Amino acid sequence: MGAVASYIKDIKDTVASTFEGMSITFSHLVRRPMTIQYPDKIPVPIQETLPHRYRGILEVDLDICTGCLACERDCPITCITIGIDMNKETKQRYFTHFDIDVCKCMYCGLCSEACPTGAIRHSQEFEGASYNPAGLVRHFAPQAQNLYKPKKGGETEPKLIAKVDIGQKYLDEFATPDGGGAAEEKKVPE
Amino acid sequence: MIQNGAFAGMPKEVVYAIAMVVTALIVLSAFVAPLAGVTSWLERRVWARMQSRVGPNRVGPQGILQWLADGIKNLLKEDLIPTAADAKLFSLAPYVVFMGFLCSFVVIPFGGSLIVADLNIGILYILAVTSLVVVGILMAGWSSNNKWSLLGGMRSAAQIVSYEIPAGLAILTIVFLAGTMSMQGIIKAQGWAPWDWFLFHNPFTFGAFFLYFTAALAEGNRTPFDIPEAESELVAGYVTEYSGMRFLFFFFAEWGNLYVIGAVATTLFLGGWQVPPWLVSENHPLLLGIAQFVTFFLKAYMWVFVAMWVRATLPRVRVDQLMALCWKYMVPLSFICLLGTIGFMFMSDQGQRIFGALTLGFAIATMINFFRRVGFQIREAKPELYFKPQI
Amino acid sequence: MSDPAQAKSGFYTEDMTISVGPQHPSTHGVLRFVVRTDGEVINEAIPDVGYLHRSIEKIGEKVTYHGYVPYTDRADYLAAMFANQAFCMAAEKLAGTEVTRRGEFCRVIACELNRLASHLISVGTFGQDIGAMTPFVHALRERETINNLMEEICGARLTYNYIRIGGVGYDILPETCTKIIEFLDHFEPIVDEFNRLLSGNKIFIERLAGVAVISKEEALSYNLVGPNLRGSGIQWDIRRDIPYSIYPELDFEVPVGTAQVGALGDSYDRFWVRVREMQESVKILRQCLKMMPKGPAISKVPKKFRPPAGECYARVEAPRGDMGFYVVSDGSEYPYRVRIRTGSFTAMSIIDKLSKGIMVADLIALIGSLDVDAPEIDR
Repeated sequence: MGAVASYIKDIKDTVASTFEGMSITFSHLVRRPMTIQYPDKIPVPIQETLPHRYRGILEVDLDICTGCLACERDCPITCITIGIDMNKETKQRYFTHFDIDVCKCMYCGLCSEACPTGAIRHSQEFEGASYNPAGLVRHFAPQAQNLYKPKKGGETEPKLIAKVDIGQKYLDEFATPDGGGAAEEKKVPE
Repeated sequence: MIQNGAFAGMPKEVVYAIAMVVTALIVLSAFVAPLAGVTSWLERRVWARMQSRVGPNRVGPQGILQWLADGIKNLLKEDLIPTAADAKLFSLAPYVVFMGFLCSFVVIPFGGSLIVADLNIGILYILAVTSLVVVGILMAGWSSNNKWSLLGGMRSAAQIVSYEIPAGLAILTIVFLAGTMSMQGIIKAQGWAPWDWFLFHNPFTFGAFFLYFTAALAEGNRTPFDIPEAESELVAGYVTEYSGMRFLFFFFAEWGNLYVIGAVATTLFLGGWQVPPWLVSENHPLLLGIAQFVTFFLKAYMWVFVAMWVRATLPRVRVDQLMALCWKYMVPLSFICLLGTIGFMFMSDQGQRIFGALTLGFAIATMINFFRRVGFQIREAKPELYFKPQI
Repeated sequence: MSDPAQAKSGFYTEDMTISVGPQHPSTHGVLRFVVRTDGEVINEAIPDVGYLHRSIEKIGEKVTYHGYVPYTDRADYLAAMFANQAFCMAAEKLAGTEVTRRGEFCRVIACELNRLASHLISVGTFGQDIGAMTPFVHALRERETINNLMEEICGARLTYNYIRIGGVGYDILPETCTKIIEFLDHFEPIVDEFNRLLSGNKIFIERLAGVAVISKEEALSYNLVGPNLRGSGIQWDIRRDIPYSIYPELDFEVPVGTAQVGALGDSYDRFWVRVREMQESVKILRQCLKMMPKGPAISKVPKKFRPPAGECYARVEAPRGDMGFYVVSDGSEYPYRVRIRTGSFTAMSIIDKLSKGIMVADLIALIGSLDVDAPEIDR
């Protein structure tokens, strides 16, 4: 009798679990799909919905770069190459080239953390495809540019104030040993 | 004898026969090709919505021309035949499979008088002709010169041949009830109302329907029995080496076969193209024809949808479990259904009507229970609801 | 090679040698097995690994400690947080650095979220290998929400570089904590729905019950770890038995296999342990979010991190088992040697033993139930 009982139980279990499974898949037909139909059927461009900390393709604001080479040193995969030369007459140092090989970049964020002014940072851009590897090397110093000298007591030149603020806001996201980057801790609601 | 013209010297009957065959072929292909294509699109959309995704919705309105785009793309692909493969068999296999499936359309009754040939062995013809795909699949598996394909082909042959038995027995149940094997005859033996269908005639035909549907899914290589083309086990089973249009031909046959399954299920169990006489009377033959066609098509397509739904839900069975399921579970149950139905035919009319009503009541109760369960799932998961099919 | 029984009957048959992979939809990553079968039944399945070898251990000798943390992400990209944490723990042990309390909580939150994501992929792809494609997409849908949360916390969705030496790289803001709680409230019924759809399905159970049973002694002698070990009934979880971080203060169960269907230590047990671990991770996350203290998220660590010469081994309970980092330092700012011990690599050794006599379909179920993962095997 045990064999017949287990036979009938097998059939019953199969039918019951199939019934249950089919009710679940049927219930999904009336649920909203989770797909975001990028790039055309979305209300705002995707880049604006990404969080501020998103580590997209690197960008450099050369106007506030001090040429300290901290990013080049800290990069674990040596994708940043910076060239600095000195003008013999004016003794002014300037950039000859500031290249980032985006196809080598690991998007780890160590360079942006090392930067004192926040000149190099990750943008929200992620669509950087190119037809050849050479197109993936981004040149951020197309012509020679002087290095930036941060002024004591804050920046005064109006064009640079906004840039310095953006850089500083980016740097504020990182955690620091004196509690920076941590908003006041609130009791999380139950 | 025809005296002059292009066919001079040939007997009249032969020429007429050839003309009829060619016309039927053209009409059927014109019906079957878009049908299989749209089924492929619908399958992808239905799966996608069941998986919280969207599915193809770009090519044409809501993506309905996706199959055309796929077909054109595959036509433009390189025709790859592996060097060590048997080229003749390799090229021939998709056509054999396609032919096996297309021939079954000859006896599908689309309407009261819309049938290519109302053979008096209609349903037996379908059973016979759908077995041709075994030959095609074995050819594909062998000639690819690939061990994965060979495994897939062997599995498929075993599967299709085994599942002929429960399918045939379930069909035999209905043939006993109807008294004829002709498709139109079986439909005419039923009525338009659900209580006149063979499905709710007695509990045994109700069971026979599910046995037939499961066996037909197994014959059509559909999940949960899609072992021959099990994507995650055998890369792609017997179609591994195929690319381009040859690859599509196999799936063409599979999607079209879904319709054949639905059509046979409708014919045998759901009353076919019968429409209520008070809806459209016989005085308007054109309207009647259209109503019958639409009724049949919708009923058959509902089962296509159910097949897609089952594929989205269930995992795959293993080969030995497949064989065990067939021989240990489905064959005995089919015999029980057959004998039970025969026994029923000896019952009085009163008794038959009572049992019919009980079966119908049970089916309606199951449906209501099903929708209550769906409501439960939605209440548990608390998702965002979206009822429109278009997105 | 026919066996003597066949030769006696006068019927000459040959075993078929098939290559499962390296391009195969079901070997998780680029794995290859050379399988010798007699029809459907396997006689031998020899793993052939190395297709995803990227010399991560060698790279450790060329970059600084801080710079190596992003590389550890790639050691197992599905469970990147754990590799980060193990390496950082090893470096901290070498240098004697303390991690701040808030940093420890952030680490555990990130790790448990990552455990959820990794187990979702594991059970989802396991379902897909068995043929059920819908639960896979549902699991991935939930994982997308977790990825969004990680993106808010640290900016990346897969290779996080979040856990740094001394703490974590970014603090978790209260808005993110609220979102995590909302996600957990949404997620718990989804696991139940997943169970109703897949784990309770009779076909699924029949495919897995009693398949590839690993007994307790075998599991111990083949050095399995993680859910593979616990699926055979052995109680061993690094979080509880060799506690690290703040796990001693948290209250959670360690699920083990209980022969729910079929034998103890079969594929279903290992699968079920993973599903239960997901539910336990949710509990841990809720406790952490309640108990999180104020304070800095990272302690003071020198830019040029130069630990004294020495060696150290740190282990964490990763989703695929015990992941250990053995770091040897020679006093300079580059490690002398980094060795990564992963659970998937040792799981490959038992596949050949278990695959004798099972069918090809069962081999796929076995590989899926062991949750092997090519980046962990080849590093």
